[in-house]
Amino acid sequence: MEILSGLGQGFAVALQPINLLYCFIGVFIGTLVGVLPGIGPVSAMSLLLPITLSGTPEAGIIMMAGIYYGSMYGGSTTSILVNIPGEAASVVTCIDGHEMAKQGRAGPALGMAALASFAAGTFAIIALMLVAPTLARVAVAFGPPEYFSLMLLGLTILSFLSQGSMAKSLLMAAVGIVLGLIGMDQITAMPRLTFERLELLDGIGLVPVVMGLFGVAEILSNLERELKREVIKARIGGLWPSLADWSASKWAILRGTVLGFFLGILPGGGAVIASFASYALEKKVSRTPERFGKGAIEGVAGPEAANNAAAGGAFIPLMTLGIPPNVVMALLLGAFIIHGLQPGPLMMIQRPDLFWGIVASMYIGNAMLLVLNMPLIGMWVQVLKLPYRILFPLILMFCIVGVFASGNAVFDVFVMVMFGVLGYLMRKFGYEPAPLVLAFVLGPMLENNLRKSLILSHGGFTIFFDRPISATCLLLAAAALAAPLLPALARRRSRLAADQA
Amino acid sequence: MIRNSELWGGLFWLAIGGFVIWSGRDMGLGRLNEPGSGFAFYWIGLLMCALALTIVGQALVSGGPSLAALWAGTRWRKVLVVIGLLLVYGVGFETIGFIPCTLALLLVLMWFVDPVDWWLAPIIAVAATFAVWAALTKWLKIQLPAGILAGIIG
Repeated sequence: MEILSGLGQGFAVALQPINLLYCFIGVFIGTLVGVLPGIGPVSAMSLLLPITLSGTPEAGIIMMAGIYYGSMYGGSTTSILVNIPGEAASVVTCIDGHEMAKQGRAGPALGMAALASFAAGTFAIIALMLVAPTLARVAVAFGPPEYFSLMLLGLTILSFLSQGSMAKSLLMAAVGIVLGLIGMDQITAMPRLTFERLELLDGIGLVPVVMGLFGVAEILSNLERELKREVIKARIGGLWPSLADWSASKWAILRGTVLGFFLGILPGGGAVIASFASYALEKKVSRTPERFGKGAIEGVAGPEAANNAAAGGAFIPLMTLGIPPNVVMALLLGAFIIHGLQPGPLMMIQRPDLFWGIVASMYIGNAMLLVLNMPLIGMWVQVLKLPYRILFPLILMFCIVGVFASGNAVFDVFVMVMFGVLGYLMRKFGYEPAPLVLAFVLGPMLENNLRKSLILSHGGFTIFFDRPISATCLLLAAAALAAPLLPALARRRSRLAADQA
Repeated sequence: MIRNSELWGGLFWLAIGGFVIWSGRDMGLGRLNEPGSGFAFYWIGLLMCALALTIVGQALVSGGPSLAALWAGTRWRKVLVVIGLLLVYGVGFETIGFIPCTLALLLVLMWFVDPVDWWLAPIIAVAATFAVWAALTKWLKIQLPAGILAGIIG
């Protein structure tokens, strides 16, 4: 009953004309950045972060959320038609989706991707609605040790699941924490690593860091080599999958949805991992695994369902604990903070309109996405034909404008360029930017909770092990750290990293 | 060995880690029951150094690609030009203004860095610059530097 009344309140917020407009803009831009290779949801969200300042908090956050789950839908179009993933979570859709397109079955592949995404997205919202209030009630009892250990676990798992060397990923997380701590100390008001620059007293802005590491660095990396895109030329018709396609895909959608949802909740998990895990699972349970890679529709349905369910699941730790499980959610946290809001267990009590408004907008957004992706597929194909040499100067201009608008300071533009160069070099040398950004956002909270815990315990570290939730999180983090030392787990992790690469 | 990119990467982060440790000590470590401003920096710096040393050790044992190999066969000059252009843009942004700087940046990128049809570049540059300027200043009420055009658009 409480959930139904909350949902009613949410729809009253989400159906306001201005929120509907922002929701539409969000899912439209999300689909667009999903379709376009070279710009992902992280860049798009950081680019539009300053724009959310001009509206109400709910409108801004509804739009940001729409970009995220919209990009999950749009990413499949590029994977299927061009064999280039529009964003990382659609990498695995290339394998069978593009094969289907080459066999003249682009329509059913696109249709199945959209319908599986819709089904999984809807499931994730219902699950979010059911799980979040319960978890929030539990989370009210969390203290600084629990928060510290949970954040540490998130960073460790993200480093464990990142591509390539775990030492490099952990190093990036450490660098992210240091960067996040630059500025005035919250307790002693002492300036830290500010190099006597007034602009750094409030710390480095999230927008220039993310725009640099993801936006500018991506452009620099893409400029190095010529991007060749060959869009499938055959007419795309008959988007509705056949009965045989449904029969082959129904269990894949269900498995992908459940798997994706739980992987999305996990700190450090997310849509990319979910789509790979779903593909591996479908191949494993299939009676005809040899069809995978040759145009098996389950290879499209499962991962697409998984990445959308994960996108929905990722909202749970942010909304209930105030802890972002991945970079995209870290940006969403940034949007909350910019509007003077702190997501977490208390938000659902203090601002139920906001929480339920976001949930209700996700229902509406999912329906909008189905409309955008099914009948408008021809338009997205035309967008795909836009050459990168026209796109990249425009993206670069939006990066500069977005960064300047976020703080009204040219200093931020230089910070963005610096992080752009750093991000480009990190890609070259095999260092992952995702752990750095997540740690950058979590850094101040991590330090704050560590210091509070130590003050509470009069300097004793046992406080982290005396509490069951904190101890469990630390144990899991230790297991993730020790995993590469065990040969079998190290091999498994290398395989996962190789798959993602 | 001296050209090993993994080794140089590790050494770079080792130096940064060393600086973070030194800064942490400089800020004050405090006591365990009352950690100081530099407490977290100090311990994270130590962690960074340990991880960087692991990377250096792996590079010494297993080797890695040379620095030149990382850029072999790439269009690295374009990357350098774009970085240079962005820095110049940042320097001129406030004094010259958003519109002239952005127009120039877009034209240089589309004429020289990754060329499109010569007639198409000015159309895109003018349309994009003025559309963004109008959207930001008129709709979102975000101030952009007018620079040398202050008398005309200011």
